[in-house]
Amino acid sequence: MAEVLLKCISKRLGATSIIDCLTLDIGNGEFITLLGPSGCGKTTLLKMIAGLETIDKGDLYIGGKRYNDLPAQNRKLAMVFQSYALFPHMSVAQNVKFGLSINKVPAETSRKKLSWAIDMFELSGLEDRLPREISGGQRQRVALARALVLDPDVLLLDEPLSNLDAALRETAMEELKRIHSQVGTTIIYVTHNQVEAMTMSQRIAVLSKGRLEQYDTPRTVYDSPATRFSASFIGSPAMNFFAGKVEVHGEDAGVVTPVGFIKLDKERFAPLQAMTGRPVTVGIRPQNIAYAEHHESKRYSDTMLSVSVELIETLGDRSLVVSRGENGTPLRFLITRDIAIEPQEMVDVFVDGRRVHLFDLDTDKNVFYS
Amino acid sequence: MNESWEKEKRFKIHEVWPLFPAAVYLVGFLIIVGVYLLGLSFSIEKNGATAFPSVGTVSAVLSNPEFRRALLDTTLFVAVGTPLELAVGLFLALILYQQFRFRNFIRGLFLIPLAIPVLVTATILFILFDYPGGHVNHLLLGHYGFFPALVHVPLNWRGSEFLALGISMLGKVWRDMPISMLILLSGLNAIDPELFDAARTMGAGLRRRIWHVVLPLMIPSMSAVVLLRSIEMWKEFIFPFVLAGKYALLGTLIESMYNDWGNSSGAAAVALVLVLCIVATTFVFLWITEVLRKHLVRT
Amino acid sequence: MRMAVPDPSLHIKRAKTALWAAALASAVLLVVVPVYLLVKYSISDAASINTGGAPIPLWPYHPTFRSFTYLFSDAHFYGVIINSLIIAVCTVGLSMCLGVPAAYVLGRFRVPGRRLLLLGLISVRLFPDIASVIPITEFFIRLRLQNTYAGAILAHTLLALPYVIFIGMSAFESIPADLDQQARVLGANRFSVFFRILLPLAVPGLVAAAIYTFLLSWDEFIFAYFILGLGKISTLTLYLKQKLAYSPPQNLLAAISVLLSLPVIVFSLMLQKYMTTGITTGSVK
Repeated sequence: MAEVLLKCISKRLGATSIIDCLTLDIGNGEFITLLGPSGCGKTTLLKMIAGLETIDKGDLYIGGKRYNDLPAQNRKLAMVFQSYALFPHMSVAQNVKFGLSINKVPAETSRKKLSWAIDMFELSGLEDRLPREISGGQRQRVALARALVLDPDVLLLDEPLSNLDAALRETAMEELKRIHSQVGTTIIYVTHNQVEAMTMSQRIAVLSKGRLEQYDTPRTVYDSPATRFSASFIGSPAMNFFAGKVEVHGEDAGVVTPVGFIKLDKERFAPLQAMTGRPVTVGIRPQNIAYAEHHESKRYSDTMLSVSVELIETLGDRSLVVSRGENGTPLRFLITRDIAIEPQEMVDVFVDGRRVHLFDLDTDKNVFYS
Repeated sequence: MNESWEKEKRFKIHEVWPLFPAAVYLVGFLIIVGVYLLGLSFSIEKNGATAFPSVGTVSAVLSNPEFRRALLDTTLFVAVGTPLELAVGLFLALILYQQFRFRNFIRGLFLIPLAIPVLVTATILFILFDYPGGHVNHLLLGHYGFFPALVHVPLNWRGSEFLALGISMLGKVWRDMPISMLILLSGLNAIDPELFDAARTMGAGLRRRIWHVVLPLMIPSMSAVVLLRSIEMWKEFIFPFVLAGKYALLGTLIESMYNDWGNSSGAAAVALVLVLCIVATTFVFLWITEVLRKHLVRT
Repeated sequence: MRMAVPDPSLHIKRAKTALWAAALASAVLLVVVPVYLLVKYSISDAASINTGGAPIPLWPYHPTFRSFTYLFSDAHFYGVIINSLIIAVCTVGLSMCLGVPAAYVLGRFRVPGRRLLLLGLISVRLFPDIASVIPITEFFIRLRLQNTYAGAILAHTLLALPYVIFIGMSAFESIPADLDQQARVLGANRFSVFFRILLPLAVPGLVAAAIYTFLLSWDEFIFAYFILGLGKISTLTLYLKQKLAYSPPQNLLAAISVLLSLPVIVFSLMLQKYMTTGITTGSVK
């Protein structure tokens, strides 16, 4: 178990910057996720921590020790690859024991650790099978067993669930959480799947194009996205975005948008008044736009808008309505299954002003994030 | 920043060392071959001492009638043998181009000539083309019921320049035909069958389809075959050595100069000429292929 | 009244198939007949060869293994086979020792200018055998390597090395990089990774390279002739050539030829079996 500290880590490939002065601190025993789309540099970052890629600039500290120049085989880390990288010519037991024999762990200890791993990961009966003879889920467990049997300071996981189908993925996620609570290793998890990130991690590091967009708990990342990218990447269905200008209409501060004037909550009145006239990007989640059952809303900060329904996508228990506002600006919101509306209908919706996010036009940063 | 770049390069050289023994071995021999070939060709033995450099040996060789004969014979060998190889390879490739049940087995069968050691193949021909007996003579004399009599006296295969070199060529072609076959077959398989259908719907008959679809697309593989096989024909040694000992090609000339006459400089000079012939042929062929491709693409 | 007209295209199709079948038959004969005749001669009795003008039979009158037993009763012949074996095995050893590490580097590392490097390495083989044999023999004479096992082994290694590197390179290349990295993260240094992970997985390709090298050396004539030709060490190819020079009985020639071809047949059959039992698949998705 150890804490990990990345201080302004950078990596370039030719003229392009893959990782741009990234600073991250991970606490002892914490489970964090590096979340981002493909090409954002998350796997490269993971490999730099593992020692498989070099760090061009910046410092990496694990457990207080500077790790930049330490070769991969001397780092007390374990890594599970997306492909699991099980050695095809070795049995399950041989795979799990590999690290132990490489590090010359004495036979008695090695045997104990092996049986611990077999139990922990439910691999009994499979010890003599070859990787090609076991299922995908079993292979994943072997990969984890092989990694954790060495008591690593940090466990690095590179999209380990992407090869599993949905049902298996849920079970695997639960298992990972269980393992984390039992073993307590610091875990750095890489994925592009926000559900995995939100479910399992204690903090999420959102990455885009080699830069750290936000580093917060899942709740915070969802409720207070630091940048427009964070806001658009987290949360499903995706957030609505449109242009707006900050204005004060009487007692209400809000934004003028193509779909109308949307007022924000009273708590933000003062700062909004101070930036009257400022152009911004407005973001609001479909979950925070509600179909108006009555003409008046109970909440003061709700704004009523009239929109024209274009089409309705059934998501199961709820449906996503794609509608268009006054100017034809698209607006997506969610309805429950008991609401019956048809395409081409004009309906009213309430926009929850408390959940409206404003992003600076140039920096894409959340105006209200601190 | 510079420091980290330096580290990566150093890392690479440190890891690459297992390559060095093999590299030293191969490059070392390359240098030896080059140095000795040039050194020997351009030195001459005068009164027991060796003088270098000197064009004496080379000019002696070039003016040697035996050499000229060998050069001519080898050129003919290449000129006749290469198209023959192409034709036979094409023949086999076309047979295998069809889908049929035992195709893999037959393809394995067609690879047999390649598997047999060259000396063995030469020996087979030595035996078959024996004079005055020998299967081929008996066959041509009509001694076997199923084959008509084509000659009245047995042929002295190894005794005549034309016949001896002829059967050497046949042996070489037979031995190497699987290689041509494989190259041409892969060329044929690379042609998208939909092109044939498209051509047919546009009214192209078989002849047109071959001329406009197959041939242009086969030019890369055919020229590969022609180039590779012609190089092989130039440097052929074993077949003429066994079957046409008295009639020299460049390869066998080198051997006789070295072993029979003890003339290592002369042998080296001939070897040098051989290498130059191969290089020249390569350039000529690449040039011809370019011309051909431009011509066919334009029409 | 309408007469049934046979479909013209069917007629053409039939003719085409017949033509193709004839071509196939003739091709098969072309390939098989010489080989058959060789085998036939190797088991021919004297009467089937020295027919005194009568046509040579297509199958011997009294097939016999006498030619083979004659060869195997000759002590010199045993020596020759052993020489060929020694040289071939040592060539495999030396070529693999030099070639496998080189193949490892070229197959696993992003060496700058790899193609050019490869070209440079095989460039010595671009010279015709008969041309490069002269310089190399002269050089070996200077080093007193002519008429020695070492001379033949070194020459054969030169011939085989590019192939070993080439085949080995593709064998190492096909191993997923993940395995390498995974082993390193688990604590293995470069040696351990090579010997415990890469080498075992590259074995099928390397075995192919070894077999190829063995056959190359066993069948090799030109370099053996120049380097060993006049000396005491003789290989099977040289033995055959010697016999060819003295107008020997043809059944003896054929028998020697069959023995010379034996390794190829043995290895081909072994390869067939290996192919059909299936090759192990990796466990990396």
